Amino acid sequence: MPSVRLEGVQKRYGDIHAADDLNLEVRDGEYLCLLGPTGAGKTTALRVVCGLTSLDSGKVFIDDKDVTDLEPERRGTALLSQTYSLFPQLTVAENILFGPDIHDLPEEERRRTLADMLDLVRLTKRPDAFPRELSGGMMQRTALARALASGAEVLLFDEPLRALDARLRISLRHELRSLAKSLKITVIHVTHDQDEALVMADRIGLIRNGHILQVGEPAQVYDNPISPFVANFVGQSNFVTGEIIDKGVKTTVKTESGMTVFARPCAMEVGEQVVVGVKIGNTEIAREGDSFFEGIVERVLFEGRNLHIDLLVEGTVHFSAKIPSWRLGKLASGDKVMIKWSPESASVFKMPEKGLREELRVE
Amino acid sequence: MARLERVLEFISRRSIRKGWLALVILFFLSFVIIPTIFVLTYAFTNWDAINSVVLSDPVKMTMITNAIINSFEIAGLVTLIDFMAGLPMAWIMVRKKFRGKALVDTLIDMPLVVPTAALGFSAALFWGIAPGDIVNPLGLGVVSSPLLLLILLHIVFSYPYMVRSLSAILEQIDQNYETAGRTLGASPLTAARTITLPLFRAGLVTGIILCLARSLSETGGTVIALATLSGSKGFNTGPTLIDGWKAIAQTTDPNYNAALAFVSILLIIIALVLMVLIRVVVKRVHLPMGKVWPRPEKLLSRGFFPKLKDSSTMVFLAVMVLLPSFFIFTCVFVFNPTSSGNWGGFGSSIIYSFTVAGVVTLVDLALGVPLALYIARGRSKRLPEVIDTMVNIPLIVPTAALGYSLSLFWVGGNAVNSDVGMLLVILAHIAFTYPLVVRNVTGAVEEVDPAFEETARTLGAKPIQAFRRVLLPMIKSSILAGAIMAFTRSLGETGATRAVVSNANTAPNFIVTLITKAPKDFYSAALACIILIAISYVLMLGLRYFTRRGKGAN
Repeated sequence: MPSVRLEGVQKRYGDIHAADDLNLEVRDGEYLCLLGPTGAGKTTALRVVCGLTSLDSGKVFIDDKDVTDLEPERRGTALLSQTYSLFPQLTVAENILFGPDIHDLPEEERRRTLADMLDLVRLTKRPDAFPRELSGGMMQRTALARALASGAEVLLFDEPLRALDARLRISLRHELRSLAKSLKITVIHVTHDQDEALVMADRIGLIRNGHILQVGEPAQVYDNPISPFVANFVGQSNFVTGEIIDKGVKTTVKTESGMTVFARPCAMEVGEQVVVGVKIGNTEIAREGDSFFEGIVERVLFEGRNLHIDLLVEGTVHFSAKIPSWRLGKLASGDKVMIKWSPESASVFKMPEKGLREELRVE
Repeated sequence: MARLERVLEFISRRSIRKGWLALVILFFLSFVIIPTIFVLTYAFTNWDAINSVVLSDPVKMTMITNAIINSFEIAGLVTLIDFMAGLPMAWIMVRKKFRGKALVDTLIDMPLVVPTAALGFSAALFWGIAPGDIVNPLGLGVVSSPLLLLILLHIVFSYPYMVRSLSAILEQIDQNYETAGRTLGASPLTAARTITLPLFRAGLVTGIILCLARSLSETGGTVIALATLSGSKGFNTGPTLIDGWKAIAQTTDPNYNAALAFVSILLIIIALVLMVLIRVVVKRVHLPMGKVWPRPEKLLSRGFFPKLKDSSTMVFLAVMVLLPSFFIFTCVFVFNPTSSGNWGGFGSSIIYSFTVAGVVTLVDLALGVPLALYIARGRSKRLPEVIDTMVNIPLIVPTAALGYSLSLFWVGGNAVNSDVGMLLVILAHIAFTYPLVVRNVTGAVEEVDPAFEETARTLGAKPIQAFRRVLLPMIKSSILAGAIMAFTRSLGETGATRAVVSNANTAPNFIVTLITKAPKDFYSAALACIILIAISYVLMLGLRYFTRRGKGAN
């Protein structure tokens, strides 16, 4: 089971940096989700691994062997594109046997592979169907079987669940992951859906502008984001900016509008300009009681289990909270509410060089 | 098996792939593009000859000026008429359903594949006032002006290009725009005119360029039509001038080479400049189409008027296109059979034509498909873009000028023996059919998501395997369609053939000779035309079969 490593990969298209000093290590048998907004260079990273995109500079290693100049067909890295790319003129069985046919395996072995694969992806009843006759889920399973049958030990999923409807998407998350795990293959899964990444990944790699920002286990990325961008992209966050006025067991920050808020301890010094970020789910609002500052309810959105509350808070652009929906009816737009959070749920970041707004921009 | 594996391994090497690609591009440049425009260099190397033979000879100069003016006058008027009659026809074929639509569809395509020599004879007999010895009493016999006759003839074979180009675009235009316009209160005419029509530009450019190029190029039918019209002596178009002078240069007076070169240069330059201008003008100039006249347009959208429009469109198709094409069949009953018919000669000319067309098609496929792949898959790069533009040149250059240029390139414009002649004819036909294959296949490959081949590569397929197993099955029908188009164009070509070797033994040339050279044999010519039409018809059915199947599979 091979590992995959990208070292200092550079790829430019005109002025766009599709990969900018991209470094990534995927361990043996790991399920790694590459998460980032549209245009972040996720797909480029995948194409670099399987050899479909040539590099300007940098190196690609598979199983610690330098494969930078190896043709795609020699790498054993099968790509599953967004639309699955099942060959329309071939049946399910012929699609699955594409790899074995190319490698000219003996008839006996081919038959066994086909039977195994059909069984594995629960398509034993449809080997003679054409791709256009299949449902989205079946197409996806066929594409998976085809990739596995080719002998690939690294699978590259490019938004594999995107074309499916919402319900199926959620049920397939588990299925895809457990299949990969039981076969002990290495997977790089590209997605822009943070929920998907959090549920499926062993580790998540956050990517933006062709550069990896942070790699870590889902809980780590969620709770200990490395920058305001990561904090906001993996689970929405609220931000306030200000200056550190005291540090110790908790950090005290005074905002420009004169409010005082608390956050977890940090390495920055008193007097530094910082951004305090807190997940909207950890933002508490109440009609009365002690608080950091006040806000006015702008909008209440019913989301089923939760209520999403948009707030007007002086000195911030967006401010939201998520509260259980049994509180529906107890808050209405125009109400004044008290806002606070527990200090250990808030992270402190250095003030980004280009300002907070630019940092949070998702292009 | 192991050997095959090794061959695959060898041709999949990056250096071999690069080498093969370089070879294909080199072929394209040195066998298609450079020969096509080589004649332009004649102006620099032999200016003295042009000066002494042409520029200082007022008789030749007048002939050249008149011929070229005639050519562009005919092409311009024909294109205008094609557009006005073709637009409602495109509308009918795309938006309307009626019984017999498939038949009308086939009939519209018919003149595309029939050799223009056959069409020229047929249309001239239908419209023209023929000299005493070939009067067909069933013909209308109303046209005495050669200019008018040629306009009527050129409409026959250029009209389908306009209808096809416009309907191809119309099919892609979402009808919802128009529906939205109607729900906002516009009458059908207003909606169509202000919303859909402005979206036509791309199709209009293609249609106009195809019609102009086809009309400017046409030689065989034009020569025959002029020979079949009494009192047309001395009337020339650019291609017929080349045609006539080539024969003189080859047999009696080699000095005419300079004149030939001069006419070819003029035709090529004017055609290319005109095409560029059209592209710019049609794309840039915006007609004030936004203005609306609600009441008259509403009136014109109702009752009598749409019916009038549709029926007059159908009448145009029948009278201007179909009747002239099929009129030739009546000649079998009217003309006196001649006992002296040279059927052995016709048979061997058909074999000659088929051999040429076959070889040409094979070469086009072998070297055109790789170039098409290169163009379609290299969209973002500079060189494929440049080649993509260059591919159009041989389509635009009048084939008679192309043929002369090519013979100048390979043999210095000299007469050659028949074996070399056949080779030259093949090279000339490759030059103007190669772009047809490349265009067709490029279009088809661009429709296919590159993800298919890329996925195949990551599944372990070498580039050649990915092409053969994945891409080829998807574009097969377009390759076949391109091949059949190339084949029929080669089979029907007269101008390029005669400009290379004026007495080449092709089937269209055989017919031209029957009609223009004594002893004239109109009965045999008519029969030969009918046979050629029949063969072309079978080929077209094949073409439709393959393109239809291609559509069905998607």
